[in-house]
Amino acid sequence: MEGLMNNYYETGSIILFGIGFAILLLHNNLIKKIIGMNIMDTAVFLFFIAKGYVSGKDAPIIIGAHKGVQGYINPVPSALMLTGIVVAVSTTAFALALTVRIYEGYGSIELDEIIKMRSD
Amino acid sequence: MSIIQSFPLVIILVLLITAFMMPLIKNTKIIKGISLVSMTSVMILALINLDFVHKNGEYLYRIGHFNAPYGIEFRIGIIEAMMGLLFTFVALMIIWYSIYSIEKEIKQSKIGLYYLLVNILIGSLLGVVYSNDLFNCFVFIEVGTLASCGTIIVKDKKENIKATLKYLIMSCLGSGLVLMGIAYLYSMTGHLNINYIHAELVKCYLIYPNAVLISIVLFIIGLGVKSAMFPLHNWLPDAHSSAPSSSSAILSSLVLKAFVLLLIKILYGVFGMDILNHFSVLNIVLILGSLGMIMGSVFAIFQKNIKRVIAYSTVAQMGYIFLGIGLGTNLGVSIAIFHIIGHAVTKSALFLLAGAMIEQTGHKSLAQLKGIGREMPLTLGLFSIGALSMIGIPVLPGFISKWHLSLASIAAGDTILIVVILLSSLLNAVYYSPIVINGFFGEENLQGKVYKSKSKPLKELMPVIFLVISMIYVGIASRGIINLISLGLM
Repeated sequence: MEGLMNNYYETGSIILFGIGFAILLLHNNLIKKIIGMNIMDTAVFLFFIAKGYVSGKDAPIIIGAHKGVQGYINPVPSALMLTGIVVAVSTTAFALALTVRIYEGYGSIELDEIIKMRSD
Repeated sequence: MSIIQSFPLVIILVLLITAFMMPLIKNTKIIKGISLVSMTSVMILALINLDFVHKNGEYLYRIGHFNAPYGIEFRIGIIEAMMGLLFTFVALMIIWYSIYSIEKEIKQSKIGLYYLLVNILIGSLLGVVYSNDLFNCFVFIEVGTLASCGTIIVKDKKENIKATLKYLIMSCLGSGLVLMGIAYLYSMTGHLNINYIHAELVKCYLIYPNAVLISIVLFIIGLGVKSAMFPLHNWLPDAHSSAPSSSSAILSSLVLKAFVLLLIKILYGVFGMDILNHFSVLNIVLILGSLGMIMGSVFAIFQKNIKRVIAYSTVAQMGYIFLGIGLGTNLGVSIAIFHIIGHAVTKSALFLLAGAMIEQTGHKSLAQLKGIGREMPLTLGLFSIGALSMIGIPVLPGFISKWHLSLASIAAGDTILIVVILLSSLLNAVYYSPIVINGFFGEENLQGKVYKSKSKPLKELMPVIFLVISMIYVGIASRGIINLISLGLM
């Protein structure tokens, strides 16, 4: 329990990840599924960036004098998550575009209704 | 440093650059030409690279002039080089086949985009195979996922959109889990490079047993979703059966394989045998693999649509690969990789031939394809050879991998697995042989069918003939190939 409280960033991000995962799996509404997917991705971003943060240190941008390696937080996770955000944005855009086409084709965005339509 | 060492990077760059040239060109003939020429040149580069690696051993290739822990690295061993050749060869044959038939399945205006997606897809899959950096692999996985969704939806029918959405949601689930696994590894070791993670992890896995276990399971499930491990396969039959035939061939023979290969790399490269034995997680892969071998075949028996039969057969065949991985011995993993090769050439040929039958007759269901052997004798003849390999007739690669998997499971002490392999082969026979037998024989089946009335011209079947020849070659040369793979695993 104390470990969870000390690492509250990680605990929070794992809870968020679980919420996103459950929404993605359990909801039938496609928009909700896409929102769940985004929550899940954001949880991973939070986890990564929390791992790179060193308390009391600056963002790795040099203004004026260079403070040496010890003066800045770890820049690698932030850089990785920039790529991660790009990936997440593109999958979200693609999924939303598909949802629009699904609505045009089937007149519904509830997955269970769409699956029923084929069996009729 | 020899210039040949940079060929893997050149391969990916050639594929991506030529891909983005295609939408600028209006003439579809030129687009097809660019696609063929780029894939041929890439295949030649992969061949030269394989020869180089075979002579000089594996090497690490740094990208962007930063040394290993900071920069991205490619690791080219014998297995990676072989996979490079396999992927480019199979992709070339599929593109060659699609040149004659793609207009019948997708709109004229989409052809440029289709070949763009195929080139990006192959490039990103090769990136997954070559890269030695986990985050780089993740980015390539996502690029590959989006491109493969694109190759399904390009047909633009209602059921395609539904299948694509299902595939996209499942894949996003998978890649979310993989990214979380990478986050765990990064937080424990502070590295993303596979070799460095392994070196750190061996020292510290006893300190964080739970975190290591969670990250292994995250990778197995995440990549299992993407490579259709048994209970997570439900997106596959829809996606593979509704896509255009050439896309189904690429999806089934190459896309799944790249993710399995990444799983092998992560399990045996990042974690290594000591950690896997300590947590005994390989048993999960073993059990899910054996379940997939049987259940995939059982589902296939009840299918009415020929492409769905082949798609479910893919689930069963992926089970063999997971079984090989799950055995956890050197022989098991070599056979899993050998099965990747054998299955890639066989399944792509089967999907293309099924596509040819559907294209010429206009029917998809098995009942309406009876007697097809008189109308399209060569097509069904080639299909039979592929089906025989799937069932496991000696000399063909399907038999070789089943035989060696049995030997490997005896060596590992799990003799019950031989029963599973035998049962799965029998079930394979149950659903493949009716297609062949009803196609060639039976009075009422052949009634009113005119000999060779619907057969495709020989030149359009040439790529499939090449695939079947290479399949037989893989079977005959199996001893050498397996030795080479186990050399590469050392």
